[in-house]
Amino acid sequence: MIDDVHELRTDEFLAEVHSFEFWFQSIEGYLSDSTWGHDADAEEEAIDDEDRDRLISVLCNYCVGEAAALEAASGMIQIAPDRHSQIFLATQVADEGRHLEVFLHRLAELGVTDADAEIAKRASPSLLVFKDRLLELVSGKDWESALFAQNVVLESLEFVVFRRHAAEADTITSQVLEGVIKDERRHMGFGENELGRRLSRSPKLQQRLRDFRPELDALVLATLKETAHHLELDAEEERVLGKGYLESVERLGLLG
Amino acid sequence: MADFLSAYSIQNWLESCPQGYLEDTSYGHAVGEGEPGLLMDNEVLRNDAIRTTVQLVLGERCALAASSGLINAAPDEASKRFLATQTLDEARHVEVFTQRLYDLGVAKDDLESVLSTHANPHLVAFADVLLEKVDKKDFVAGVVGQNIVLEGMAFSVFEMMHAVNSEMNPKFCHVLSGTIADERRHVGFGENRIGSLIKEYPERKAEVEQMQKEMSYHMLATFAAAFQDVEAINELEKIGEERSHAKFQGADLGVMDPDEMEHLLADTVLGEFKTRLGRIGLEYQTPVAP
Repeated sequence: MIDDVHELRTDEFLAEVHSFEFWFQSIEGYLSDSTWGHDADAEEEAIDDEDRDRLISVLCNYCVGEAAALEAASGMIQIAPDRHSQIFLATQVADEGRHLEVFLHRLAELGVTDADAEIAKRASPSLLVFKDRLLELVSGKDWESALFAQNVVLESLEFVVFRRHAAEADTITSQVLEGVIKDERRHMGFGENELGRRLSRSPKLQQRLRDFRPELDALVLATLKETAHHLELDAEEERVLGKGYLESVERLGLLG
Repeated sequence: MADFLSAYSIQNWLESCPQGYLEDTSYGHAVGEGEPGLLMDNEVLRNDAIRTTVQLVLGERCALAASSGLINAAPDEASKRFLATQTLDEARHVEVFTQRLYDLGVAKDDLESVLSTHANPHLVAFADVLLEKVDKKDFVAGVVGQNIVLEGMAFSVFEMMHAVNSEMNPKFCHVLSGTIADERRHVGFGENRIGSLIKEYPERKAEVEQMQKEMSYHMLATFAAAFQDVEAINELEKIGEERSHAKFQGADLGVMDPDEMEHLLADTVLGEFKTRLGRIGLEYQTPVAP
């Protein structure tokens, strides 16, 4: 095991941090004693019917996001430009599959018996449009746009929402979210690094993503609005979430 | 179906694989294990090991492309999630076998050229048949091709390699053991999931059986080419090293001719195909002899 990956040469660093071995060491730290994403002995807190219903709506939308991420990440393996990216995306595929599974399991714990029907009923229209658009980019084999939409935009949206939700959720939901957030951080890092390198070499790509961004922003902000409603956040809190998302995109120098 | 698929959950996978038989391993073997001196110090044996490992990397790259490509074609969420674990398993296999090439002295910058130099063209054709189905989002044919034919072949090949290397190369055997454990799960999923789909879509049988016949032909041609190469056996004889008398399917591999080993492996794999295809309601098609 390498002591400090930052001491490696760039190509060796990328090979190391995109490897199964690295993923394996990372998840061991926070998943080894969990079952369905939370402590096996964590106790269910009492939740009133209204809050339970709101939580179910939020979780249904998390499932939509994670199913989109699972399908997009797996499709991106086919178009990844190199083997290390393929292997990293394979770890991401397993992560996204796990996220979908733990959210579905949480829904079952909350008494949902037909998750598919519930998701179809409660899915945010903007998030569904985002999902279609993302999968269109993947099937169109547009690596940079798909990576931007998936590992920067979608992951950033999930990151800010999950972090906010985890802070006030019941213990079990919070533990599930904390594990997911740790994975999202890795996925965002991959997206930012891979795209950042490409953007620094290609002003044309910068312009292309800058032109494309407003379309995704509109869908993300509409999804955030719907999620904020389910989480009972006020306008200021919703603005903070939007700002958090925009800051992630700003890190790539793609604002305005 | 829901109950059967729950056995293939990511939670189960986490407990049995990364937190189970892969715990405390590095690139699939115990930390500190290395390739044996006999192999590293002998150019002929080392090159033979590189040639063999190249085929493993190519087979696993095909499996990675196929399993990830099938996620979007899967008709239900639970199958998608199982295929997510399989995708990561296959990526791990690509990684551990690629690492073996590095351990055998292949320079990182030379990886792709070494792969294309030693790639068995029949194995490439075998992969192409499968990936064409995956590309068309044909879930039934894709899973039969991937989880029954490709994985079934890999399973027996790995078991034979494990037997051959059991005395001489514990490091490679450990890598193979972890891979075999994964393949067993993949084959199990394929049999269980596709059985019900074949019942649902009986009109697909003929086309899927034709694919099995084609893939089997390329597989047999791959075996024929691999066992024609007798350099390593001759080299062992030349340097006075006795071949391993490990048993595979009850036979002593140390006394068999390469021809006999080829037929033993081919018969084992085809026999497995026949059994497994029968279980899912497909009729095994005898391939043309290469």
